[in-house]
Amino acid sequence: MRRLVSLTAATVAAGLVLTACGFGGDDDDGGGGSASGGSTTLDLLVPQYSDGTTALWDEIIASFEEANPDITVNLEVQSWDNINDVIRTKVQAGEAPDILNIDAFSGFAKDDLLYPADDVVSEDTFGDFQESFVENATLDGTVYGLPMIASARALFYNEDVLAQAGITEPPATWDDLLAAGTAIAGLGTGVFGYGMPLGSEEAQAETSIWTFGGGGTWTDGDAITVDTPENLAAVEFMKQLIDAGATQPDPGATDRTPMLDVFIQGSIAMAVGLPPTIGQIEERNPALNYGIAPVPTQDGSPVTLGVADHLMAFRNDDDKQEAITAFLDHFFSTDVYLSFVDTEGFLPTTKSGAEGTANAERFADFLALLPDAQFYPSTNEAWAATQGALQSLVGQIQTQDAASVLQQIQASADNA
Amino acid sequence: MTTTATRPASRSSDRPRGGRSRWAATARALPWLGPTLLLVAGVVFFPAGYMAWTSFRDLSQFGIDNGPAGLDNYARLLEFTALPRVLLNTVVWVVGVVVVTVLLSLALAQFLDKAFPGRRFVRLTIIVPWAASVVMTTTVVYYGLDPFYGIINAFLVDVGLLDQPYGFTRNAVPAFLTAMGIAVFVSLPFTTYTLLAGLQTIPTDVREAAQMDGAGPWATYRRIILPLLRPALAVATIINIINVFNSLPILAVITGSIPGYNADTTTTLIFKFIRADRQIDTASALSIVNFLIVLAVILVYLKVVKPMRED
Repeated sequence: MRRLVSLTAATVAAGLVLTACGFGGDDDDGGGGSASGGSTTLDLLVPQYSDGTTALWDEIIASFEEANPDITVNLEVQSWDNINDVIRTKVQAGEAPDILNIDAFSGFAKDDLLYPADDVVSEDTFGDFQESFVENATLDGTVYGLPMIASARALFYNEDVLAQAGITEPPATWDDLLAAGTAIAGLGTGVFGYGMPLGSEEAQAETSIWTFGGGGTWTDGDAITVDTPENLAAVEFMKQLIDAGATQPDPGATDRTPMLDVFIQGSIAMAVGLPPTIGQIEERNPALNYGIAPVPTQDGSPVTLGVADHLMAFRNDDDKQEAITAFLDHFFSTDVYLSFVDTEGFLPTTKSGAEGTANAERFADFLALLPDAQFYPSTNEAWAATQGALQSLVGQIQTQDAASVLQQIQASADNA
Repeated sequence: MTTTATRPASRSSDRPRGGRSRWAATARALPWLGPTLLLVAGVVFFPAGYMAWTSFRDLSQFGIDNGPAGLDNYARLLEFTALPRVLLNTVVWVVGVVVVTVLLSLALAQFLDKAFPGRRFVRLTIIVPWAASVVMTTTVVYYGLDPFYGIINAFLVDVGLLDQPYGFTRNAVPAFLTAMGIAVFVSLPFTTYTLLAGLQTIPTDVREAAQMDGAGPWATYRRIILPLLRPALAVATIINIINVFNSLPILAVITGSIPGYNADTTTTLIFKFIRADRQIDTASALSIVNFLIVLAVILVYLKVVKPMRED
């Protein structure tokens, strides 16, 4: 028995040593290969937007490799739950991918890991992005992120339930929403008025919708500002909705994705949704009689939360820049780009894409809101921590007063 | 990360004792021990040491090292206002789960030690929670307790125990208690089987002798069985303390979406530092504190309870 144990240990130890050698060999492959005119390998790390994401990328890579036989692209797909941990580990280990698709780029840009965007796409591609998105992808005057897909928020409402409560128009202001939510709760049919997801999944989005709607922002251009009078008014309104019973029970621990299913089932009358929500309703409950309206704001003027995900290129080996440029130009060529955006059901960020998208009619409500979109201050390096603090703390307004919760989040932002 | 660090290092009590011959023997054994030592160093001491090192560094949110931080990371921990509650939760979590698990397992092991028809089947049933993935078991309970579509909630409303579905997993205290219940459930198989193995090493003639001397069942159990069960009980308790203390998945699933820190233990707080606050360095500092706590708990347990004493 004891002999077997040491034998196993010896084998494992030998394995460790061999693997360690393997690490050293890897680097040589990448660098030496392309210098001698051979093939270049690009590592591409992307998140999973839907069940079809991997197949979609495989298709794009196949068509790219056909046109560029000397470049091989290695695809790695990670879930949104994991991708932040994966990229952090890779960067820490000095094994960053060549191209990354993720929401925020500023942390990597601050650590000086990225190519400026115009170094890795052609002028034509670069000029095709919509200005508002380019602005949102800029850090200290340099564009680092390539806006890849966009999303905006709008109010989805159940027309049957609203009619039952005698409400003819979807709510446009905060007061309308409070009145509608309370009226629906008063029906006593077990249907909740407004679905407010303040669980850790995406509490920062739900909070931003209301703070932006009350004229608030998360930054004064320099520092992260959470605890401001405008934001406080918005969060107090959220608390008012909860206290009045106009929301579902326990909004503080409700996550968005499962909550939208409850809306789709018809047990929540109003909820803020995204473009893909339309497809989810078609798939899960096509009988649902619903409408889409701009998100209610304090005074009724339209504002929405825009979100853009970005592609970015890491400066690992300078000799890969050409290959990266070839790949990104291929991705943003109108046909390839639209096949991605339309299949995943997002809004395009390029001018040619906005004209060509097959979903123009379907997403009309969202496309109309895009000019009024406000973004997270994701170029601020303290934003990631602020977003984390919003996710893990803002739900406490269910039991604590709004001001003290905002102070806690401000403290986390100041600490970052 | 922390789990490898807290694994107890292998004891060296099987080395020959005494003077020069001991050193010579050790030297002779070294080539054979080498691979094992290398392995232990690689998977236990190196990660633990690296973690200790990072706890004194200033790391960016993506892990870029910005130089030494002195005790800043530890100072930030002390300033963390929710820390007392988190420490209290940790104590409740570990003591509660381990005590309930051990008591239930003692009863179960006693029961399974008796011969009865179908015993083989019951023994197999008790292994099931062990065979199923912890995340899976927890997720089943989590969905069952969901206030909108959970069948456990629907059942409680249907039989009239609740007027309307209750957010068991949506409020800190009930969610924490639910997580403790699941932790007991998944810890039972290992503990029961360890104790059952211990019971089967107790020779029947000892029990018969106790009976002959007129000891009742309870006295036999307290005076004879329990003391003889001490080594098995020690193993079961120590391994449970370490496992429960470092357990992440149950709390991550059940209390993960609850705002604030009222349902956190030090282990889940480490992950919140990494994932929400992006403070890898503070998380490392807390990991070190976590490591020291579990070490202290086990030392105190060994000192006070003296589970290894043979008398």
